[in-house]
Amino acid sequence: MEAFNNLMYGFGIALEPINILYVFAGVFAGTVIGMLPGLGPISALALMIPLTFGMEPSSGLILMAGVYYGAIFGGSTSSILLNAPGVAGTVATSFDGYPLAKQGQAGKALAIAAYASFIGGTVSIIFLMLVAPLLGRVAVSFGPAEYFSLMVLGLTAVVSLSDKSLVKGLIAAVVGVMISIMGIDLQTGTERFTFGTAHLLDGIEFLVVALGIFALAEVFYMLLKGGGGKEQPRNAIGSLKLSKQEIRQIAPPVGRSSILGFFTGVLPGAGATIGSFLGYSMEKRLAKDGDTFGKGNIKGVAAPESANNAACTGSFVPLLTLGVPGSGSTAVLLGALLVMGVSPGPAMLVDRPDVFWGVVASMYLGNIFLLVLNLPLIPLIAKILDLPRPLLLALILIFCMIGVYGMSFSVFDLLLLLGFGLLGLGMRLFGFPAAPLILALILGDIMEESMRRALQISGGDWSIFIDKPISMWLLIIAALSLVLPLAKKVMVKARG
Amino acid sequence: MTAKQHLTRFSAIVLPLAAVVGMSTAAQADEWAPTRNIEFIAPANPGGGWDTLVRTTSRVIQEEGLAERSFGAINVPGGGGAVAWAQIARDSGNPHKLFATSPPIILVPLAGASRYDHTDFTPIARLITDYSIVLVRDDSPFEDLPSLIEAMEENPQLSVGGGSAPGSMDHISMAGLAAAAGLDAAAVNYIPFSGGGEAMTSLMGGHVEAVITGAGEASGQLGEGSELRALGVSAPERLGGALADVPTYQEQDIDYTFDIWRGVMGTPDMPAEAVAYYEDLFAQMLETDGWEQAREQLGWIDAYQDSEEFGAFLDEQKEEFSTILGDLGLLGE
Repeated sequence: MEAFNNLMYGFGIALEPINILYVFAGVFAGTVIGMLPGLGPISALALMIPLTFGMEPSSGLILMAGVYYGAIFGGSTSSILLNAPGVAGTVATSFDGYPLAKQGQAGKALAIAAYASFIGGTVSIIFLMLVAPLLGRVAVSFGPAEYFSLMVLGLTAVVSLSDKSLVKGLIAAVVGVMISIMGIDLQTGTERFTFGTAHLLDGIEFLVVALGIFALAEVFYMLLKGGGGKEQPRNAIGSLKLSKQEIRQIAPPVGRSSILGFFTGVLPGAGATIGSFLGYSMEKRLAKDGDTFGKGNIKGVAAPESANNAACTGSFVPLLTLGVPGSGSTAVLLGALLVMGVSPGPAMLVDRPDVFWGVVASMYLGNIFLLVLNLPLIPLIAKILDLPRPLLLALILIFCMIGVYGMSFSVFDLLLLLGFGLLGLGMRLFGFPAAPLILALILGDIMEESMRRALQISGGDWSIFIDKPISMWLLIIAALSLVLPLAKKVMVKARG
Repeated sequence: MTAKQHLTRFSAIVLPLAAVVGMSTAAQADEWAPTRNIEFIAPANPGGGWDTLVRTTSRVIQEEGLAERSFGAINVPGGGGAVAWAQIARDSGNPHKLFATSPPIILVPLAGASRYDHTDFTPIARLITDYSIVLVRDDSPFEDLPSLIEAMEENPQLSVGGGSAPGSMDHISMAGLAAAAGLDAAAVNYIPFSGGGEAMTSLMGGHVEAVITGAGEASGQLGEGSELRALGVSAPERLGGALADVPTYQEQDIDYTFDIWRGVMGTPDMPAEAVAYYEDLFAQMLETDGWEQAREQLGWIDAYQDSEEFGAFLDEQKEEFSTILGDLGLLGE
C-alpha cells in the first residue's frame, strides 16, 4: 500500500505538464540517438548536462533518464535493419533480428523488439518500485569473487553461440578476451598490447569492434557475394502483426529475460550489454528449437530486447539507493545529480522522495511513450530496406563511420573499424562465429580484473571462489551448463 | 587529422549551444580578454573529478556572468590524462585552451606513463582541495585509525580498497599514511577498483576490510543510516558538514596530511596577460554565491593559489610523490 501511495505521489510529479514534456523530449531524443550507431547514451547524457542547469532535480533526472532508456529502446532498430548495433546493449538483438529482416520479416522483428522492450522496461520498473531499497543488499553482495564466477557462467555461452565448430568458437572467444585486455592494466599499470601507441592506452571501444565485425563485415560480404550491386528483391517489411502462436512463443522468454535483465542491471558494472547476452544465451539453451537461434528465431529478438531494457532500469537501483554508479551512463547521471544539488545515497529516499518517486513514475510514462512512438514509425523506418542495394550498403558504411568518429573524434578508431570489418569478413569466409568473440570481449576484462582482485584479497588462495556461497553456486551452474548438454547427447546416442 | 582539429570539430557542435546560455555577460575591463570561446578540457570521461570541476566552474562562470566568452567543456579521455596532455602540449601559446588538473599530472609522468608533466604546461590557479578518508563497515572491529594500522601490521593481507590504480592518488595517500604510522609503505595490500564508488560498494558488501577514497565522494555515504564508518580524514583540521565528526589523522597521533587538490592549467607558454586574466577570473568566481553553493554540495574546500604559487606548489608535490613512489617501487624510467 505504501508503495502505491508513493507511486501516486510520484505520478503527481511526473504528470506535471512540464515533466510530461521532459519525459517525451527525453525518450524521443533517446530513441533517435539510439538508432544512430555509435552515438551512445553516455555522450548523449553528457551533452544533456548543460540543458539541466537550473532545472528542478526531479525534472532534470526525468529528462536524462528518458534519454538513457530511450536510447536502449531505439538501439534495436539499426541492429535489426542494418546489422549495425545502435548501442552496445543491442548487439545481441542483431543475431536474430538481422536474419529476420533479411527474410522479409523486418516489421515483425521490430514490433517484437518494441513489445519486448516495453515489457522488460515496465516489469523492471515494478521491481524498482517494490524492492529497490532491499536490492541495495543484492548489489553489494557481489564482490570480486562473485563477479568472476558470474563472468565464467556468462562465458560458458560460447558453447551455445558457436554454431558449427566448437573449436572455432573457442578461438574466436580467445581473440575476444585478448582484445578486451588491451590498454593499461588497472592492477599494475602495465601496458598490454598497446603497440607503443597512446591511442590504445585505454583499449578499444567496444562498439568499434561490434560495428566492424557485424555491420562492416556484412557490407564487405555482400559486396563480395552480391555481384556488383545488383538489386535483390526483398519481401518488403512483412506484417507487424504477431499471431497468437507467436505471442505464446515469446511470452516466456520475455518474462524470464525481464527478470534476469533486471538483476543483471542491479549489479554495478554488469548492465544492459551483459544482460542482453545472458538473456539471449539462456533462451537459446532453454529453447527446443535452439539450433534455429542466429538464423531468425523471434525468441532471439524478444529475449535480449526485454533483458537490456530491464537491465537499464535495474541500473538505477545502485545509483538511487546507494549513490554508486553501476555503469558509465549512470556515472554521468550521478555527476549531473550532484551538480543539480542532490546527492544520491541511502538518505535520498527520505530527503528527496520527489526525485526518486518522480523518476520511477516518469519511467512508466516514458515506456508507454516509447511504444506509442515506435510502433507507428516501424513501417516508415523499415522502408530503408527498400533502398537499392548499393545505396543501402553505402548508408551502412556512412552510419558506422559517423558513429565511430562521433564517439571518439579519432581517425585512428576509423582505421580500427576498417580492420575489424576485414577481420569479420575473414571470420565469415572461414566459418568462425562472431558472437563468441563479442561475448568474450564484453566479459573478458571484468573477469580478469575480478579474478586478480579476488586473489589479491585472499592472498593468492583460490578457495575464495568456492568459500563464497554465491560464487560457488554460480560456478556450479556454469559447470552444469557445460556438462548437461554433453550428457544429453551421450544419452541420446546410447538410446539410439 | 590532428588532435587540434578533432577538438575544433567537437566545439563547433557544443560551443554554440553553450554560447546561447552565456551571452548576457558583463563587460570586462581587463587588458586582455578572450577573443573566442574557451575550450576547457577534462582529460577524462564524463562523470569523474576533472569533468565535474570543468562543468561546475564553466556553469558558475556563465551563470554569474563573469566572462564575455563561454567555456565549452570537452572530454578528452585516455591514458589517465596522458592522451589529453599530449594534445594540449602541441598547442603551445594558445590562450583559449585550459584543462583541469590534479595530482595525476605529477603521478602519471612519474610512473613513466606520460611524456609530459606539469612543467610542460602553464599553471593558472589551484582552486580547491579534497582530502582522503579512510572507511570501514559500521560493524567492523576497527574503531579508530591506530587499531586499523595495528591490524595491518599483524596481518599484511588485510585488504584496503581504493578508487584508483596502483601508484595513483588513493594508493599514494594510503601508502603515505602507513609510512607515517611506522609501517612499510609497500606492505599495504592495496586493491585497486575503477572508482571510489566501486570501492565503497565492495566495502559495504564486506569484500574488503577498509577503503580509502575522496572525502567529498564519501560524504554522501555517511550520516544517518549509513553502513560505513569513517576512521579519519587526511586534512590538517576537521571538515564540516556530514564529516564534522570524523577525526583527522593528526588527532590520532599520526602526523600526516594529504591533499587531493584540483586546479586549472593552460597550454605551454601561454602569454602572461592571458594567465593574468584567467587567474583573476577564477579568483572572482570563488567569491560568488553560485560557487559557494556548488562547492558545498560537492564537498570541496577552497584552496586558491595564483599561477606562481601553484607552480611552486606543484614542484614541491613532485618531490614528495617521487619519494613515496620510490618506496613503493613504482617509479618509472
